[in-house]
Amino acid sequence: MLENFCYKHKGAFLQTLHPVAALTYLAALLLRPLIFNHPLYLVGILLASLLAAVVSDALGEWFSYFTVGLWMAALVLFLNPLLCQSGETVLLSLPSLPLIGRRFFTLEALCYGAAMGIRLLGVITAFALYNTLVHPDKVTGLLSRFAWKSALVVSMSTRMIPALARDLAAAREVQQMRGVDFSSGNLRQRLQKYGWLLELLLVSSLEGSLQTAEAMQARAFGCGPRSHYRHELVRPRDYLCFLSGLFALLLSVYARVRGYSAFSFYPKLAQPAAGNIVLFWFLMLMFCLLFPSILAWGWQRWPFLRSRI
Amino acid sequence: MPVRTLNRLARIAAAVLLTAGVLALASWQLRFILQHWAVFALLLLLAALVLFFIHFEKSTLSSREVGLISILATLAAVSRVPFAALPSIQPTTFLTIVSGYVFGAQAGFMVGAVGALGSNFFLGQGPWTPFQMLFWGLAGASAGALGKYFPDVSRVGMTIFSASWGFLFGWLMNLFFVVCFIEPLTWSSILLAYAASFLFDCMHAFGNVCFYLLLGPSVIKVLQRFKAKITYTESQVPG
Repeated sequence: MLENFCYKHKGAFLQTLHPVAALTYLAALLLRPLIFNHPLYLVGILLASLLAAVVSDALGEWFSYFTVGLWMAALVLFLNPLLCQSGETVLLSLPSLPLIGRRFFTLEALCYGAAMGIRLLGVITAFALYNTLVHPDKVTGLLSRFAWKSALVVSMSTRMIPALARDLAAAREVQQMRGVDFSSGNLRQRLQKYGWLLELLLVSSLEGSLQTAEAMQARAFGCGPRSHYRHELVRPRDYLCFLSGLFALLLSVYARVRGYSAFSFYPKLAQPAAGNIVLFWFLMLMFCLLFPSILAWGWQRWPFLRSRI
Repeated sequence: MPVRTLNRLARIAAAVLLTAGVLALASWQLRFILQHWAVFALLLLLAALVLFFIHFEKSTLSSREVGLISILATLAAVSRVPFAALPSIQPTTFLTIVSGYVFGAQAGFMVGAVGALGSNFFLGQGPWTPFQMLFWGLAGASAGALGKYFPDVSRVGMTIFSASWGFLFGWLMNLFFVVCFIEPLTWSSILLAYAASFLFDCMHAFGNVCFYLLLGPSVIKVLQRFKAKITYTESQVPG
């Protein structure tokens, strides 16, 4: 279960980026669905993140997120018209129900729900890419420059999770050998059985934490400035991806402030025809978001480019 | 005037100036802020999260405390896994609350926040991560305040506290969903969204109460013993 979503290094181009470049690019992917509600932009962002997943060989992980996101998006799609009674085009009117009264399904609310569903998918796939592209150690390494205590706690805790999960499984097996059946009994009995496991794990891991503290003390924890084991390289690819991410962020904010990406759903849907200016900004933004994926494709196919970046 | 008092005065002055600056900015652009209140509310929440972490950075920390906080956070994170099949029943809230109760607000916050972040590296990071970090952290921090001001809180009091965090956590997490994805917001739509999650919130509260009643006193005893162990010092009596 623990291996499903955790980072796996596949040597893809986007995985080799410096964390600052990767995070800027991902921030651009994340910010855009949050601040835009024009359907064209929302679909474009989803396609950009799909392409990034394809070039990083992360389609499997992307898809498992996508299916979870799809359920949530479907929930939003159907909940929104049920909850929201605005809009002029009534598609369906439900009989009067106690407490909540009469409900109408309107086309506008349904479309808004669909747009919000795509927005949710955009946000979730941006996080899916984050999970598959950025090693947790790189992020904590970056954080340790500003907040080393928090970063230390986070990295120690993340490192210990697989070990503790193994301990938990081992303790569970020992209990099973002694005749404890974890799948039988009512909820209270089951919770009690898991509770014993938890208590066992707590006592043993607290003792372990003292040993960790001793090891840290022996390595001169807290004396003098922090030492580093690893230094991240900054290569031309990092500058390129960082700049394209930064441009995407700035252009998105500019387009949002100037209203190029605005789309009104209520009380009646706006005309779907995209004006020249909307199309121009859309293409500019898409280029910025697709640039790292194009670079990744070139990096795979063209040895000269590979040697240069 | 001693340097320490001067430092403190300078800090208070800086805080007052900052607040005045923010208030001036807010009143100047009040309309803009009210128009985009969801974004500003989100920023405020994230700022609260960052402030908690800044406070942790400023504190003096021994290797034992680092080890203790990380192992408790790890335990809170790992304990999410075997219960993933039971919706909303997770001992994470329970572990965060007892950690905060015994080791104080700061440790409680860190256990909740780091537990949420660490477990999501394996269960999947998402837009929910910062909110889980903040709200689980707050559960731990409030338990720390409870332990500080009511050190002899009764079993009934602690049970009510655990149950209320079960509901509160769900309600606060709903807030993020409702604000980001439902428009226009009306009382009836908010009520319906909360009614939809009521069963899950009840399960969460029920789980917290069960864990506390089944394990609470013994786990608190173990943690208190461990606290005595790591804070134990020997002083030499002269002569």
